[in-house]
Amino acid sequence: MREQEMAEKDVTIVPTGCCHDCGGRCVLRAHVKDNTIIRIETDNGEEPQIRACLRGRGYRQRVHSPDRLKYPLRRIGERGEGRFERISWDDALNTVASELLRIKETYGNSAILLAGGSGNQGMLHGAIQVGRMLLQFGGFTREWGAASYEGPLFASMATYGTIRTGNSRDDLLNSRMVIMWGWNPANTIWDPETNLYLAKVREKGIKIVAVDPIYTDSAATFAHQWIPIRPGTDAAMLIAMAYVIITEDIQDHAFIEKYTIGFRKYKDYLLGREDGIPKTPQWAETITTVPKEVIIDLAREYATMKPGALIAGWGPARTAMGEQYSRAANVLTAITGNVGINGGYAAGFMRAYSSRETASGTHGSRNPVEKGAPPRKDSLHKLRGGTNPNSARIHGSKIFDAILRGREGGYPTDIKMAYVVASNYINQHPNTRRGEEAFKSLEFIVVHEQFMTPTARMGDIILPVNTFMERNDIAPPWLGSPYYIYLNKAIDSLHESKSDMEICRDLSKKLGLSDKLSEVSEDDILRHIANSRDDIHDYNAMKHKGVMKIKLSEPIVSFKEQINDPKDNPFPTLSGKIEIYCEHMKEMNNPLMPSIPKYLSHKENYDSPLAEVYPLQLLTTHHKTRAHSTWYNVPWLREVESHSVWINSIDAAKRGINNGDMVDVFNNRGHIRIPAKVTERIMPGVVNVSQGAWYDPDKDGVDRGGCANVLTSDERSPGGAFPMNSALVQVELTKQA
Amino acid sequence: MTQIGFYFDQTRCTGCYTCAIACKDWHSVNEGTPGLMRVGIIEEGKFPNLFIAYLASPCYHCADPPCVKACPANAIIKRKSDGIVVVHSDKCFGNKDCPTACLNACPWNAPQFGPEPGSKMQKCNLCLDRLEQGQQTICVDACPMYALDTGPLHTLQKSYGNIVEAVGFQNSPRFKPSVTFKPKPQVG
Repeated sequence: MREQEMAEKDVTIVPTGCCHDCGGRCVLRAHVKDNTIIRIETDNGEEPQIRACLRGRGYRQRVHSPDRLKYPLRRIGERGEGRFERISWDDALNTVASELLRIKETYGNSAILLAGGSGNQGMLHGAIQVGRMLLQFGGFTREWGAASYEGPLFASMATYGTIRTGNSRDDLLNSRMVIMWGWNPANTIWDPETNLYLAKVREKGIKIVAVDPIYTDSAATFAHQWIPIRPGTDAAMLIAMAYVIITEDIQDHAFIEKYTIGFRKYKDYLLGREDGIPKTPQWAETITTVPKEVIIDLAREYATMKPGALIAGWGPARTAMGEQYSRAANVLTAITGNVGINGGYAAGFMRAYSSRETASGTHGSRNPVEKGAPPRKDSLHKLRGGTNPNSARIHGSKIFDAILRGREGGYPTDIKMAYVVASNYINQHPNTRRGEEAFKSLEFIVVHEQFMTPTARMGDIILPVNTFMERNDIAPPWLGSPYYIYLNKAIDSLHESKSDMEICRDLSKKLGLSDKLSEVSEDDILRHIANSRDDIHDYNAMKHKGVMKIKLSEPIVSFKEQINDPKDNPFPTLSGKIEIYCEHMKEMNNPLMPSIPKYLSHKENYDSPLAEVYPLQLLTTHHKTRAHSTWYNVPWLREVESHSVWINSIDAAKRGINNGDMVDVFNNRGHIRIPAKVTERIMPGVVNVSQGAWYDPDKDGVDRGGCANVLTSDERSPGGAFPMNSALVQVELTKQA
Repeated sequence: MTQIGFYFDQTRCTGCYTCAIACKDWHSVNEGTPGLMRVGIIEEGKFPNLFIAYLASPCYHCADPPCVKACPANAIIKRKSDGIVVVHSDKCFGNKDCPTACLNACPWNAPQFGPEPGSKMQKCNLCLDRLEQGQQTICVDACPMYALDTGPLHTLQKSYGNIVEAVGFQNSPRFKPSVTFKPKPQVG
């Protein structure tokens, strides 16, 4: 019986954590026996506990999956066909080294694409190791733009000059109203304490409103009011709210005067003085489908029930004009004076505690391939921080096009090989079929992977990588919570797998590179990293406990200093103020990058001519059982909810579709075939295919795996957002064969 | 006798299934077999007026458990000391030689069988192994929302009230399930 097993000796409990690219980084305690994880617990220590979600709790089935890549593989069939032979590490690395040298010699370093992702990570492991190695090798080509958040990041820099715009979650209890705009932390976590705080906010009687095309788990659990909104039109509603606020004169005059620039220009746009169209609630109702009374009420409530927290999620910004939504949200928080105060919220990128340096570096480049390249003209290159504007980089959504068209297509280089690490690259970039075509055209592809993903299947050499359970590392929290997790190695690497760091050390030797860190242990490097931070005081204690929680003396409120003492603390923008109007953008002289936030349409909008052919708007949300495409192959999680396309009963009835029927979802980019989930939880006119399911084309090119990116567009927004939520599609009942 | 019982705050449940997966992991229940802790979803209404609730369902360790009476093998026992209903799987006839009488008798489907012919009944035993070590059940310790609790029923009732109703929960008062809920209000 089970209870006797518990008493078994030789079970050790290893404190570690869960570290993939979801919105958490959570405590796990692995019970280990004979180099096997036999069960998993989570944080049982001091409050607040950092409790793992179902992904972490199901990790045993991922680590010990029979499908783990066990040894190095060499392709023997056609590329992508999936036929491989087992080879030795020595053979594999010799091949990779000789191909790297050949391509460097023949085409130069810029022909090497680092196709790195965040699927396997930590401070020591993942794409950073390959990046270090390739820098020493003379450089590489890389992408710019983060699929998750490039729109909010751009808008955050344009408005505030920084990505540190969030308040710590405990501060939500100081709000009088919370708006969850396109924000579903019940599924995406958004730092592990978030959902519990939202429950407490509700229990305290604070009003919560959800604006979302889907009645999400967050909306269903926390919100008093759900406002369904047509995808891609969020900016119009936010702009109409600003119209209501200024025409009713309930904006925060003193705040606007003291801390912002450009209010008058925005007011001109709102009132129609610029284009003859007043941005009235009626105007927005036509665009958004949100009744004008609802817009008016929400605007009044938000402007008068101060302090209010408008949390502008990232999903609505993964659209063709994504940064406009984010900027409109930022500006709304500013004109209502909700920035820099307890209970308010500045929107923006929304980092609170800075425990990682994502996108905070300077604009220099140590990459020889990027040396001397001027900044992109459409970047906010005069600001410090934000996205590196180096023009040698290629936007992530255009990588496949760049591979296929190269310099002739106007790209900075001709890419000849891809070094894929920690990324299911073709699955998780827009326009997957074009990605498949592009990868098929390359001369060489090497892949670090744990499983035979659709991207690994494209590899010429596949190198088996271990998981975070099989190595030591430190996991900083996802976006910005005050803690660190120490990932203690729980078991030895399974099969012949190695860590990214071990692989790069071995490969570096074959490339003749001398790395001064090559003889330093994981532990010593981690100790050095920890010691270089001023918030980790006791490395040994952190390692022993597996977690270090930082106690805040009071909630973090971004911009408190700027508000309390503006003379000595200007905003880090060029003007030193919150930029409702952005001169830097004005200089770009591009009508699609207006100096004030605007609602802009695009060629795949709901009212575009294309909508006559493909009348449904596609969303590609994050699913609660996976982090992007990671965990998709874990049986315990798969059975929680089977992969399907969500479709409203009205749209389903028009097409003769019943719940569970197999349907085809398609547009001019591709075609997937998966079951329909007929539900009231999604707006009519909108369908949802959660991203992350694995691409699995049949002989006719129909993706039976249901990869959402088969349908998404590779046209980035002017500010760099990936338009994963701006595709038009049609859905039909699958014809019986 | 102290009856150990279960508490579920339905207003906090986001339907994340962490309890269900933690339970499957702890008790090594394979995919394909319904878990010892199951989470159901209740969806009502038409767009845009919707109501959604989740219901976490373990075994409610009834004061008068119908599964004990139904079992032809006397494999299910209600423990005198704490009222926990446990199954001795070695005595269970399995789903090939028994029409899963316990499962049929239980209004909440707590007794579960795997899909393979002959598989024996498994059910929530309130993590006896953990209980004996002074720990909470794995689901209680897993819930990121702190929406679950177990303990002596009278203590739970003192802390949380004595409400044996929740959205999606069909009470069978004659079995006296050892549970108290914070139900999700249907409006607002």
